[in-house]
Formats: sequence, C-alpha cells, structure tokens
Amino acid sequence: MSAYSPPPRHGSGDPRHGNPRAMHAVDPPPPEGGGRPAFLPAAVGAAAGVVVLLATTLTVRATVSNASDRLKHPQAAAAVESKVAVADQSEEKYCTPNFKTVLQRVLNACGLVGGEARRGCQPADVKTFASIDDDDFNALFTPLKDRGAVIMFDDASETLDAGAKKLLEERWLDRKGARYFFIVARASRTGSAEYNRTLSHKRANSVHFFLQEQFKDPDLEKQVGMLWLGNEFAQLTKDYCDWPASRGATTTSRGGKGGGKNECNPDAINRSAFVSWVDCRL
Amino acid sequence: MRNARLLAVLALVASFLGLVFAAYSTYDYAQHLDRQIHAIHCSFIPGASGDTTAENPCKVALFSSYSALFRESYWGGVPISLFAVGAFSFFLGYALYLLLSGWRTPKRAYLFFGVTGLTPLCASLVMFVISLTRLHAFCKVCVGIYFSSALLAAAAVMALLHYRAIAHRHLPFDPMGPTEPQAGPGSPLLLVGWLGALGLAAIVPALVYVAALPDYRPYLSNCGKLEVQQEQHNALLKLPTAHPVKPVTFFEDPLCPTCRAFHERLIDEGVLENLDVTLVLFPLDSDCNWMLDRSLHPGACLLSKAVLCGGSQSRAILEWSYSEQDSLRELGKGNPTAIEKKIRERFGSDVMSCAQDKKTAVRLTQHLHYAANNHIPVSTPQMFLGDKRICDEDTDLGLKYTLSQLAPEVLR
Repeated sequence: MSAYSPPPRHGSGDPRHGNPRAMHAVDPPPPEGGGRPAFLPAAVGAAAGVVVLLATTLTVRATVSNASDRLKHPQAAAAVESKVAVADQSEEKYCTPNFKTVLQRVLNACGLVGGEARRGCQPADVKTFASIDDDDFNALFTPLKDRGAVIMFDDASETLDAGAKKLLEERWLDRKGARYFFIVARASRTGSAEYNRTLSHKRANSVHFFLQEQFKDPDLEKQVGMLWLGNEFAQLTKDYCDWPASRGATTTSRGGKGGGKNECNPDAINRSAFVSWVDCRL
Repeated sequence: MRNARLLAVLALVASFLGLVFAAYSTYDYAQHLDRQIHAIHCSFIPGASGDTTAENPCKVALFSSYSALFRESYWGGVPISLFAVGAFSFFLGYALYLLLSGWRTPKRAYLFFGVTGLTPLCASLVMFVISLTRLHAFCKVCVGIYFSSALLAAAAVMALLHYRAIAHRHLPFDPMGPTEPQAGPGSPLLLVGWLGALGLAAIVPALVYVAALPDYRPYLSNCGKLEVQQEQHNALLKLPTAHPVKPVTFFEDPLCPTCRAFHERLIDEGVLENLDVTLVLFPLDSDCNWMLDRSLHPGACLLSKAVLCGGSQSRAILEWSYSEQDSLRELGKGNPTAIEKKIRERFGSDVMSCAQDKKTAVRLTQHLHYAANNHIPVSTPQMFLGDKRICDEDTDLGLKYTLSQLAPEVLR
C-alpha cells in the first residue's frame, strides 16, 4: 500500500474567498497521482494484517492438527462411545439370575434356542434342566402377574372359549419389549400323570395353534416357549386366583364354565394354560 | 478529516470484533474434526461456556449444510468462517493503515474500502436469510459476525461518502480548491494490489486448513453393520422419493431435533430424492419405547404411529412433524391430547383413528424390535447405507464427503 502527500501550499488566507485565477496561480493542484508516498502507515497496516492473519492461520492449523491427533488416538472417544446404550429387548426387575437360569434351561430344553428341531418340553425335561422344587418354580413366575394371564379350560378339554381367545389376543398384542412368550399348560391334580401330561400338552398346543392362526407371525417359532406339566409338578397355588383370567377362576364343579363367585378353587385354576410375555434378556 | 479518522476507527473495531467471532466459530468447527462430541460456544461474549445440546442454535448452524464449502471433497468441508477470519484480518490491517495515513491516504483507498467493506455484510445477509428461513435459529456467534459486518459496512459507506466528498477537490481548475491537505487519487494498480491482498488473505487460512486435514477414508466404514436386514412382518416403512438409486435405512424420531436437521441436510444437499429410504421409527418416548426409563420426546410415539398410518402421506406427516417440531415438543410435554387434535386437524380423523388402533401400536413395537435385534445405539438419527452403518459424525459434518466416497451415485 502506498499514498501520496500534497505539494506544499502557497499563499495565505482562505482560497475560497479569492479570485479563482489568482488562486490557481498561488495554489496549483497536486499532480495527478503524485505526491510523497506514506510508506510508514502502509507498512504498519500491512504488517498488522499479516501478523494477525499469520497468528489466526497458525492457530487454525494447530487446532486441526490437534483434532487429527485425537482422531488417530481416540481414547476419549472410546470412553464416550461405551456410555451409549444399545437397543435391546426389555429387562425387568424379576429377571433375577435364578429366573434367568430357569429361563435359559427351559429355552434350551424346549427348542427355542440352539437350533433344535422340537418344540416344547415335558416336566421331565424341566426337572432335569431346572433343578428347583415346585414352590421355587412357581415363585419365579409370580412376578409375571402384570404381563401374564390364566387361560381357563373346561374339565378334560383343550378347547379355547371366546373369553380365552380374547384374552390371548390381548396379551399377545401387548408384547412391548419382551422377547419370549411362555405357555405353561396344566391339567388336573387328579388322574394319572400320563393322562394329565397328554391333556396339558394338548392345551399348550391349542394356545400355540391359535396364536399361529390368528397372527401368522413369522417370528412366532422363535418367540413362543411351551411347557406342559402333569399333575406331579408345579401346580398353581391360590395366588394365581388374582391373575387376569379368561373366565372366573372360581368354578367348583366339573364342567362348570366359570363365572361363579365361589371361592377360588385349586382344581379350576390348574385346568389352565398360564401365558406370559417374559421381559428378560439372555 | 475527522470523518476519515472516525471511519477508520469504526472499521478497526468492526474488523477486530468480526475476527474474534469468526475465529471462535472456526475453532468450534475445527474441534469437531476429531469426530467426537464437543461443546459449542454460543454467546455474544466470546469464550463464554459451551453447550452440547441439540437445541443450541450455534450447533444447528454449525451442522447445517450452509456452514461450509467443498463438503464433497473434504470431510466436513471448509468452514465459511475461515474466509471471514482471512477477510477480517485484512480489513484490520487496512483500517489501521487508513487510521495512520490520515490525510495522506489516496482517494482510491477510500473507494476500495467503500466497495470491499460491504462484501462481509452481503455474505452476512445471505447467511441471515438462511438462518431465518431454513435453520429457524440464530446462532449468537453468527449474529456477532453479522453485527461486525454491519459495523464494517457502516464504515464502508462512510468511506464512500468521504471519497465522494474529496473526489473533485483536486481537479485542475476546481473553483473551490482544496480546503485541507489532501493526497492524490493513487495509482489504479493499487486497487489491483489491494484486491489481490484481500483475496489472498481470505483464502490463506482455508488453504492451510485443507492442507492440515487428515485422511478420513479409513474411518468411514468402521461403525458396524445391520445384522438383520429383513423385518419379518413387513412392518417397516418405505419413504417415497423421486429417483431412488441407493437403498438406505434410517432410524428416526419425529420429535428429535437432530433428526430434523439431518432430514433438512439431506434435502439441502440434494441427496434425499436419490435414496431408496426404508424408515424405522425409533421414538425416544418411554410411552412405547421400553429402552428408556423416561421420555426424552413425549408425544413421539403418537406421531410415529401417525406416520405409520399416513399411507401415501407418510412422508408429509414426517416432514410436518419436523417443521412443527418446536410446538409439538411443547405440546408433548404438557398436553399430549393436543397433539392428537393437531394431527386430526391437519391429516384427518382416519389417520388419528388408525394411530390409536392397537395394530398400529404392534407395528411400532415391531419397528422397535427391529432396532433391538440390530443392537443399534439408542440415539437418533441412525443411517445405514445398504447394510453399512454410517457413523454418527458422518451423518452430520461428514455426510456429503461420506456419500461421495461410499455412494457417489446419490450425489449426481
């Protein structure tokens, strides 16, 4: 940058008030583009600009280089990354290690995991794989009350009535974050274990087939775990009378279709299939 | 002469302020080159505490497609603020020169400053309109730059007036004659020189920035894959686009501000219409999403269901959710039924009835299970190009660069 200074002024007084011609004579205009260059201000201005530009540019370069170093050695990034939650199925408080052990064993035994061909398992399998007693077994499932339901059957029958279908549909659609759906069927306390086991198996299948038919869910086979129990294992206690049921779990006589307001009867509550979504991860 | 001094002082102050704000903006931008999360300054007081929230308007501006140039060639592009740093540095030096040279300043120096001093304001006006109409947010650091540009422009206008006032004083037969010492007009070559210096100052920081950038290509494909590509129930949603050439899967939440910014970025970059979009709704609302212990975006489940029920209007409902996001988020916090009313008014009662149907809830649950089966991070948005997960930082600053590397066909 450069500048020019005007030539020295001649004469005195305000030239505006003088004769223009005379003024021209005493105060000639500076030569076009001429004059003494103002080097110092130009040099100072240029230097200041360059210094500021250099400083900011070097700062930019240092910032980019530091970012580049952090990119190549991302210890801090890994720490942040590990804090980010990962999407998964739900995990409720009842998923205790004990519960998960049983769940895992039932799933393994009943063909839901591990790629085994068969579906469902019998009490013997459960006895083998879930080595706990009846009370503990029931206690494990007690916390499922909000997610479960009791599907009632007539005596010696595996047919689902309208109420059972409605409740099943309701429960199935209320999956939320659960991964597994359990069907645990039972038969009477009386009669031979063999007979009851067969009936129990049929009841479990009724529920399973209904869900298959109704929803045609391609994932169903990976979700539904079935267990059918005879009269010798894990009978439901009266605690289950408070659970949502497909009909009044209070029938006292054979063949009664429920709805009576009699006392909850262990015989009736056990002519059932207990169903529930299980909100546990394995 | 007093006017000349005043304009020089004003230009000096404006340039200094502009430089400080532009430098902070550039610093914030460059910090993100490590692909990590950083606080962003957002204050009229440079250096005041940073903010990492998505609602931070400076973050909105920084992650918008308007904050940088050459995004296709360089990861994150070259921040526009870098050019401002260079330009304000030049004007700082130039203003100092005007101040120190006083009456010896050639006339053309004022003309040059008067014209070029208006350019930062022109750039600021463009960015202001973008902030107003596209970003709907005003970043305080940006406003600082706008203000500095306006001050500089005021000085420039004063310079033009001053130039006009002194332009005729040295005519050979000026009847009035000079009233005070006055320099000549200066060589026209000076204009070329100053213009060259301004241009050089404006691009030098950008050139140094580009030269210092690391190679990002090795980092683009390291963020995982979509483990389960097929959703068994056909529950996922296809978002209609004009020329779909590349399959992508988006996990989005209608009430997530980052999703809105991402969606707008895709549109602004001209990319969205070339994508074959599968949309997975992933509302961060504990009303339907069991992965959260509290709702981050209450009302997002309902809006997601409305999107699922939209049929041919699905995209319109999603984009409406984004455009009305601020008010919908407020309604979601205090009065969720008001959201229902808004949906009904805008898209009809059929959409709302469908959104309240249990089967729609099941379908939304299937979306969430799809996310769970793929173990994606619980954050939105997530983008998968084919089955390849695009890292979070590549969906914002690095989007165009990443696409140019991994799917150049969508940029054509």
